[in-house]
Amino acid sequence: MKKLLSIMFAAVLVLSFAACGAKNEAGSNKFIMGIDPEYPPFSYLGDDGNYTGFDVEICKAACEKLGYEFEVFEVNWDEKLVQLDAKECDCVWSGMTILDSMKEEGYVISAPYFDNSQVLLVKEGSGITSSKDLAGKIVAVQLGTSGEALLNDELSDLSATFESVLTCDSFLKCFTELDGGAADAVFVDYPVAASYVSEHAGFTILDEELGGEQYGIAFRAGDEELCKKIEGAVAELVKDGTYAKIAAKYPDIVDSLVFLK
Amino acid sequence: MSLWVMVAKMAEGLTRTCAIFFLTLIFSLPLGMFVALLRMSRNKIISGVTRFIISVLRGTPLMLQLLAVTYGPYYLFGVTVSRNKLIPVVIAFAINYAAYFAEIYRGGIESISKGQYEAAEVLGYTKAQTFLRIILPQVIKRIMPSVTNEVVTLVKDTSMAFTVSYQEMFTIGKQIANSQTSFVPFLVAGVFYFVFKAIVDFAMGKIEKKLNYYN
Repeated sequence: MKKLLSIMFAAVLVLSFAACGAKNEAGSNKFIMGIDPEYPPFSYLGDDGNYTGFDVEICKAACEKLGYEFEVFEVNWDEKLVQLDAKECDCVWSGMTILDSMKEEGYVISAPYFDNSQVLLVKEGSGITSSKDLAGKIVAVQLGTSGEALLNDELSDLSATFESVLTCDSFLKCFTELDGGAADAVFVDYPVAASYVSEHAGFTILDEELGGEQYGIAFRAGDEELCKKIEGAVAELVKDGTYAKIAAKYPDIVDSLVFLK
Repeated sequence: MSLWVMVAKMAEGLTRTCAIFFLTLIFSLPLGMFVALLRMSRNKIISGVTRFIISVLRGTPLMLQLLAVTYGPYYLFGVTVSRNKLIPVVIAFAINYAAYFAEIYRGGIESISKGQYEAAEVLGYTKAQTFLRIILPQVIKRIMPSVTNEVVTLVKDTSMAFTVSYQEMFTIGKQIANSQTSFVPFLVAGVFYFVFKAIVDFAMGKIEKKLNYYN
């Protein structure tokens, strides 16, 4: 028993030291990208077990251009700005909708790089063809997304016609609610819906855009210079064709990229 | 993503889950005893303050306490947030669990009849001797089932660490689930938790059996 205990102790100590070694104090040359690791195709866990996605690849390439050491930090999306403030990451760059409230709070926001729209995803053959058909139905939406904000604010007249809004903590759960019959539609960002539809049969996206918005990169207040540098590096990537090459890997979103229009 | 990569990735998270689990127990079990003694102090102020702290710790969600421990120092005093997330996570868990353990210990200690203290005094035991040699061994036996209960809860509570972006097993499982739009990772997580809990049950059962020296 004693032996077992001492082995366990040793294991725990080794583990905690290993954890210590994983991340160093923020060096001058390190650029830590804050991502939502549950947001394909912009940022997600790739098939090889490493983070990838459109935003991750672009950021990596930009860091190479600038000579920065690239690192990923997985933010908790509900707390992303707290974690940015607390210097756990240097930016939040993960299909993030630019909100006026962010600018009002002093965050430095890059020029928008993606035109997003919110769409409704429904089951094929459900008979729902527009948002008007959703009166008395249940609509699922992800907590903390701009879709949820829209339903509560600008589109509150529309959401008042629903039987209820079902708030889930991830898209996967929203889609599962829809698939399982607990919800009649999912209110979601277009790229997420598109990538889901391309992988799963039996769903369609309604041809109705319910709220345009743009994606950008958020930096801490006072980091204008860093924002300029990153924007500059991205502009270079656009110029030398790397940007288009990376974008080609993500066909669902390529049409909405601002820099490629 | 192949099942193998998925399991390997989640096993990597499992080592972090284990780190939270063991470190929390190592710190909270003794801390709980200390808090229990403060709580039972004859000094009204000490026991009152301790009682208030315990009720705050038990009355607010662990998730909130994790946020407070991790980001509170930064917002209040500008202290840099620790890069090693294990530190704030373990501090928050240890404090929270110490509050629960303290109440379990107190229940155990107060369940011992006064007569035993009086008998010990008659036999010339000092207060410390009475507590350590007579009371505590009986208390430990009595509280084992309740402690096991908390320990099993802790296995599952470790998943709460996702709140502050600590990449433990369930957090990684959620990421895989969302990138693969599949529920398989949750199944894997369930199996991991169940096996973990079975091992904990086995170990606690052994300890209880060892303590059962009178029967």
